[in-house]
Amino acid sequence: MIARSTVPIDWSDVRTWPAALTAAWRGSLRFRTMVLTLTLTAGAILVACLVMAVAIQSDLFQSRLNQVLADARRATTAAQASLDAAEVTDRIQTQQLLTSVRGSIVRQSSTELMAVFRVPGQPISGLAPQPFTTGLTSEHVSAPLREAVETGANGQWWQSVSLPAAGGSTVPGIVVGQQLQLPGGAGAYELYLGYDLSGAAETLGFVQRTLWLAGLALIALIGAISWLVLRSITIPIGQAADTSARLAAGELQVRLPVRGEDELATLGRSFNAMADSIQGQIHKLAELSLVQQRFVSDVSHELRTPLTTIRLASEMINDQRAGFDPATGRAAELLHAQVERFELLLTDLLEISRYDAGSVQLEWELKSLTQLTEDVVASMHQLAEQHGSIVRVLSPGGHTPSRMDPRRVRRIVRNLIGNAIEHGEGRPIVVTIDSNREAVAVGVRDFGLGMQPEHVGHVFDRFWRADPSRKRSIGGTGLGLSIALGDAHLHGGTLGVWSEPGRGTHFVLTLPRGRGIVEPASPIPLEPDAPADDIAALLQSTAPIDVSTLVELNQPDVRGEER
Amino acid sequence: MSARILVVDDDTALAEMIGIVLRTEGFEPSFCADGAEALETFRAVRPGLILLDLMLPGLDGIEICKRIRAESGVPIIMLTARTDTADVVRGLESGADDYIVKPFNPKELVARIRTRMRPAVIPEHTVQRIGDLVVDIAGHEVRRGDEVIALTPLEFELLVALASKPQQVFSREELLEQVWGYHYKADTRLVNVHVQRLRAKVERDPDNPRIVTTVRGVGYRAGAVT
Repeated sequence: MIARSTVPIDWSDVRTWPAALTAAWRGSLRFRTMVLTLTLTAGAILVACLVMAVAIQSDLFQSRLNQVLADARRATTAAQASLDAAEVTDRIQTQQLLTSVRGSIVRQSSTELMAVFRVPGQPISGLAPQPFTTGLTSEHVSAPLREAVETGANGQWWQSVSLPAAGGSTVPGIVVGQQLQLPGGAGAYELYLGYDLSGAAETLGFVQRTLWLAGLALIALIGAISWLVLRSITIPIGQAADTSARLAAGELQVRLPVRGEDELATLGRSFNAMADSIQGQIHKLAELSLVQQRFVSDVSHELRTPLTTIRLASEMINDQRAGFDPATGRAAELLHAQVERFELLLTDLLEISRYDAGSVQLEWELKSLTQLTEDVVASMHQLAEQHGSIVRVLSPGGHTPSRMDPRRVRRIVRNLIGNAIEHGEGRPIVVTIDSNREAVAVGVRDFGLGMQPEHVGHVFDRFWRADPSRKRSIGGTGLGLSIALGDAHLHGGTLGVWSEPGRGTHFVLTLPRGRGIVEPASPIPLEPDAPADDIAALLQSTAPIDVSTLVELNQPDVRGEER
Repeated sequence: MSARILVVDDDTALAEMIGIVLRTEGFEPSFCADGAEALETFRAVRPGLILLDLMLPGLDGIEICKRIRAESGVPIIMLTARTDTADVVRGLESGADDYIVKPFNPKELVARIRTRMRPAVIPEHTVQRIGDLVVDIAGHEVRRGDEVIALTPLEFELLVALASKPQQVFSREELLEQVWGYHYKADTRLVNVHVQRLRAKVERDPDNPRIVTTVRGVGYRAGAVT
C-alpha cells in the first residue's frame, strides 16, 4: 500500500480524527481519489435528484390541477345549465334546486368538499337560499380568492390550501372557486370546490423516496466501482513504491511482476530495466572496488618488500657512516632520511587509498581521551622543545574512557600537535580536552601566524600547502590532515579548523561517545574566545602559571561534568 | 637455544639483507624461498626461530605456520606487509608468536628476535600452581595431574607471567611488555589471540575459563589454585 500513516490512529478518540484524516488525505492516493469521486458524484446526484424531484412535483401538481379545474368547470357548467333550465318561484324551490344541483356537482366534480356562499352586496331576495358548506369551511377559502370569485362572474380561480383530513391532520389540497347564477333573481352564488391532493402527494412521496434511494444506491455503486478501479491501480503503484524502496535500501535483486501490456506493465518493465541497469553498474563498481582494494594490497606488499631491503641497507650504511669520507657520510645520512620519508609517504598513501576503497575497519576500545592526549604530548615533548614551544594540556573533561580506535585517534592528535609545533612560531601551544553528554573533544591551539581565510578551506586537501616555498621542518607527507579528517569521519566525528592571520590556528577533533551519534555538538568551541589570546600572553610570561586560571580563561562557562 | 634462524621469504634481496643484519648481530641465518619447501628446510635446519613471510609462492605463510606448530613450538615471527586486521589475526591464530610489519628497521627486527630467543628467567619458586595446574618452570613443563600439557615457549611464558603474581590483574599492555618485550603501545590483539590459544590448551572448558580469567575492561589474571 502507498498509505503509510506514521502516527498510529486511535479511532476511539474523536480529537485525533482531523489529524488522521489529513494524514490519510495527504498520504493515500486511494483515499483522496475516493473522497473526491464520492463527493463529486454525490453532489451531481443530489443536484440531479433535486431537479427531477422538483420537475416531477410540479408536473404532478400541474396535471392534477388541470384535471381538478376541468372537473370543476364541467360540474359548474352542468350545474349552471340545470339552474338556468329551472323555473323557481319561491325559496323552497330554490333551496331544493340548489340541493339537487349540489348532488349533481358532487357527482360531476368527484369531490364532496364544497362551499356555497351568496355573493355579498346583492339585493336581498326572498328566493335566495341559505349558503351551505360541506367539508369546506369559510376559513379554507381565503379572502383574496373570494374577492376574485365575487368580482369575476365567469372566471375560474384556484388556490392551494391545506385541507383537513382524518385524524386532525391536514393534507395538501386545491380550492377552486366559480360563480353560479341562481334563477329567479336569487342572485349570484360563489361555489367553492375543495380537492384533496393527498393521492398526488403520496405518488410524489413515493417517487421522491425512490429517487433518493436510487441516488444513494448509485453513490454506493460508484464508490465501490472506483474503489475497485483504484485498487487495481494503487496496488501496483504501492508494489512499485515498495520495490523501489527495497532497491534503494540495497536489495538489488528485487523486481516488479509484469502482467499484460498496459501502462502498469510498461511501468514495471521500465522499472525492471532500470533495476537491471543499476544492479549491473553496482556490480561493476563493486568489482572495480575489489580490484582497487586488491591492487592497494598488492602495491602494499610489492612496494614494502623492496623498501624493507632498502631500509635495512640504509640503516646499516648509516650506522657505519663514521668510517666514510664526509661526502659519502652525508650521502648515507641523506639516503637514510629520505628512505624514512619515503616510507612515511607510502604508509600515508596506502592509508588514503584504503579510505578511498572503503576498506578501513576500526578497532574499537574504551580509552580516556585525556590520557591518550597526555601520552602523545609526553612523546612529543622533545620535538616541542626543539621548536621552543611549551605544550600546555587543559583537561576539564574527557577523563572517562569512551569508545574509539586509539591507534587512529593517537595518530590524529599527534598530527595536530605536530602541526601546531611546526607552525606555532615557538609560542606556547594549548591542548584542551573536554567532554559533554554526546561527545569528547580535543582542541589544539597554536598562536602562530595563522592562515588566510581562503587557505583555511584547503587544509584537509591532499598534498596541499599554504605556502609552497615554506620548508617542512617535521617532514610531514602532506597527507596528515587528510588522513586525520578521514579517521575522524570513520569515528562518526568531526575535525574542525579555525584560523586567523596573526591569531593562530585551532583544530578541534570531536568524537561521539557512543554508537549512533553522528557529528555531535562539540564541547570545545572552534572559534576561541578573546581571552584565549591572553593565555598566550600568560604562557609566554616566564612566571609560574596557575593552571586553574588558565582553565577559567579558556572555559568561561565551566562545565561541571567529569571533573 | 640454537642461534640458527630460518628466514622464509621469496624475496631473495630482502632475505639476503636480513641475513646480513642477523650475521652482524651474531645469529646464523638459513634461507628458504619456497613455501612448499619450508617445512623440509625447517626439519633439516632445526632453527631456534623462524622469520616467516606471509605471502609466499607454493604454500601460504599461514599454512606453513599451522604445519610447523603441529610439530614444534619454535618461536615464529611473521613478516607482513599487511596490517589489515584479518591477516594479522589469522597469522596469530595459526600460531605465530609475534609479527613485524614491513618496512621495519634492523633494531626493531633484532629486538623482536632477541625477546623471543632469550632464555627464560628462572624465578626462585621454580614450581608454581595455577588453578589445577602445576607449572614447573625449571623443567619447562605444565602438568594437570599426571598429564603433561604441551605449550609453546610463548604460551609457557604467558602462563608463568600470570602465575607468578596470582593476585595481580595484568593489563594487556603489561603482558605485552613482560612477554613480548614491547615498551611502547603495541597491538593488544597479540595478547587476545594468544590467551585464546593458551586457553584452548589448558582449560577444561575454554568457553568457561578457570585458569586464565578475563577481568572485564582491565585484562587477565590467574585463576585461583584448586
